[in-house]
Amino acid sequence: MKKIILIIASVIMFGSIISIIIYLQYPKGSSLQTNFEEQQDKSPEAEKLQPIYDDDHTVGYSLQNKELNITFDKGKTWQYVPIEIDKLFAGEYNGNKQELIKNSYILSENRVAFLYMEKTNEYENKVVLTYSHDQGKTWKDAIVTDRYPMIRFRKVAFLTEEFGYVIISGDRVVAQEASNVYITFDGGENWKETNQSGVTRLISDGGFIDEQTGFLSYGTINPDEPELYVTQDGGNIWTQAFINVPENYHEIFVTAEIPFKEEAHLVLLVNQGPNGDYKGGKVKGKFISKDNGKTWEFSKEIEVDDQEAG
Amino acid sequence: MTKRQDKRIKIIGWLLFFLAIGFFCLQMGYLFIHQRFQVEYIDDRIFYMINIICVLCLSLGILFLLTLTKKWKLAVASIVILFIIMNGVLLVIGNSKIKNVTSISPDFKHVLAIKQNTKTGEAVYYRNYYGILALPKETLPYKTDGEFKVEWLANDVAVVTYKATDKTIHQFIGTYGDRGGGLSYYYVGAEIQGAWKSEDIELISSPDGISVTQNGQTETFDWDQIVQFGTLAIVLTENNQAKWTISLNEDFTIDSSSATSPSGGISVYRATMDENKPFVLTYDGAN
Repeated sequence: MKKIILIIASVIMFGSIISIIIYLQYPKGSSLQTNFEEQQDKSPEAEKLQPIYDDDHTVGYSLQNKELNITFDKGKTWQYVPIEIDKLFAGEYNGNKQELIKNSYILSENRVAFLYMEKTNEYENKVVLTYSHDQGKTWKDAIVTDRYPMIRFRKVAFLTEEFGYVIISGDRVVAQEASNVYITFDGGENWKETNQSGVTRLISDGGFIDEQTGFLSYGTINPDEPELYVTQDGGNIWTQAFINVPENYHEIFVTAEIPFKEEAHLVLLVNQGPNGDYKGGKVKGKFISKDNGKTWEFSKEIEVDDQEAG
Repeated sequence: MTKRQDKRIKIIGWLLFFLAIGFFCLQMGYLFIHQRFQVEYIDDRIFYMINIICVLCLSLGILFLLTLTKKWKLAVASIVILFIIMNGVLLVIGNSKIKNVTSISPDFKHVLAIKQNTKTGEAVYYRNYYGILALPKETLPYKTDGEFKVEWLANDVAVVTYKATDKTIHQFIGTYGDRGGGLSYYYVGAEIQGAWKSEDIELISSPDGISVTQNGQTETFDWDQIVQFGTLAIVLTENNQAKWTISLNEDFTIDSSSATSPSGGISVYRATMDENKPFVLTYDGAN
């Protein structure tokens, strides 16, 4: 027994000294940002850019060499985007910084746009959309809002050449935050805030399907039922949609996605949220609305592929 | 020594020994999650303190469990003292490079942590998780000269007043959690609409802004100069410097959907590096 005690004691002493040596190597009192920059510094200067593509494989981008570049010809030529990389990830974002934040940008042949936050002074930020209509030859900055707290959720999309929307949320305190919707009717130059839904739960997604009809879906932390708000007048009035979840799917289908049009009605998929494990988390509930999004009736379960699930 | 005493000492010895193993595992676990998730101890000094406690438990445990000769006892004592001195020195050196500011809330539920790089002046606000662990939340916008003053206006609202290197005064507010029951105050300025009073100070929140009167002097702030932190507090600013912080006290309640007056109080705290206390104001009717 004496031997075992002494061996364990030696391991602890030796391990403690090693741990001090390791601990001294760590950068301390630094933000994640600084760590990220240090990692970036290690990469060789001006390395060859590798395009990252979204689903449609038309326009690629790269965040290598601490700058944002885009390519329209599979990486043969690159256009520099005049936005500091840090701004693209500013706000409350803890994800991977090797790729742009999902939905915070648009990359298409006719429109390239990036939504980000910029500090204006100690206490305030502005939310800016930098965009180009000529494949990056010229750039314009549009201020979506010039007063905004720390941003969390961010999404920009255009439905037509002229009509687009930005949905952002910020100032999160645990499970409460503000969410705001801005729309443009002139291709992104001028933005106007719509009325607010008044909900302070965390937003999980939002979107418009035409200039009048938009949706906001709430609940990201352990939701137990979908909460979907709908506007049918371009954001003047938001009302809660009624989703008739059958009893046997209660607390299974909990997060509403953004509806889409299908034939003469609208379709809403309701997924299982971050922790769902019903049928391995691989099915969603399909709901149908015949009154443009106000009420939703269950249609069937649909399977999602592995990539989408989870 | 009686058999009973001997047994008791052995039990204490084992307890200390297992405590030492526990602390050691904690440190190893910490190194792992630090590497993986950039989680840090809320105060960098904790690492060295745990090391010291671990070695003290280990050495006492050994002394209680094993019968050592004088020579061995001396050896163990020397190693322990050397180890403690080494950790103490590293703790002091570490803290001179990264200054740790930590403050525990009056109800011991939250910890405000700021770590400042004394060389660059950059200070980072940390949010605590599971008591002693923390993640960097945001960098304070101004480089500081290292002087911080922390005041808890409520159990969940901490105000950090600090001086930037250009001598301007700023306030940063850490707000912790919502106040339960799903109750939230989103627009603090709007929620405190009306007149508020204490013996020394008066405050009026109106659609034009907020005015604060103290000793017959009134300072008025437009809504453009008012910045909200979390859901519980606002800072009144002038020329990009903080002037006052206003926070909702724990007893503050208002029914947003009805026209009833708010009940409970608010705290008003001046931005100054001098020693000062917050004023507690109560509702004095619509202005």
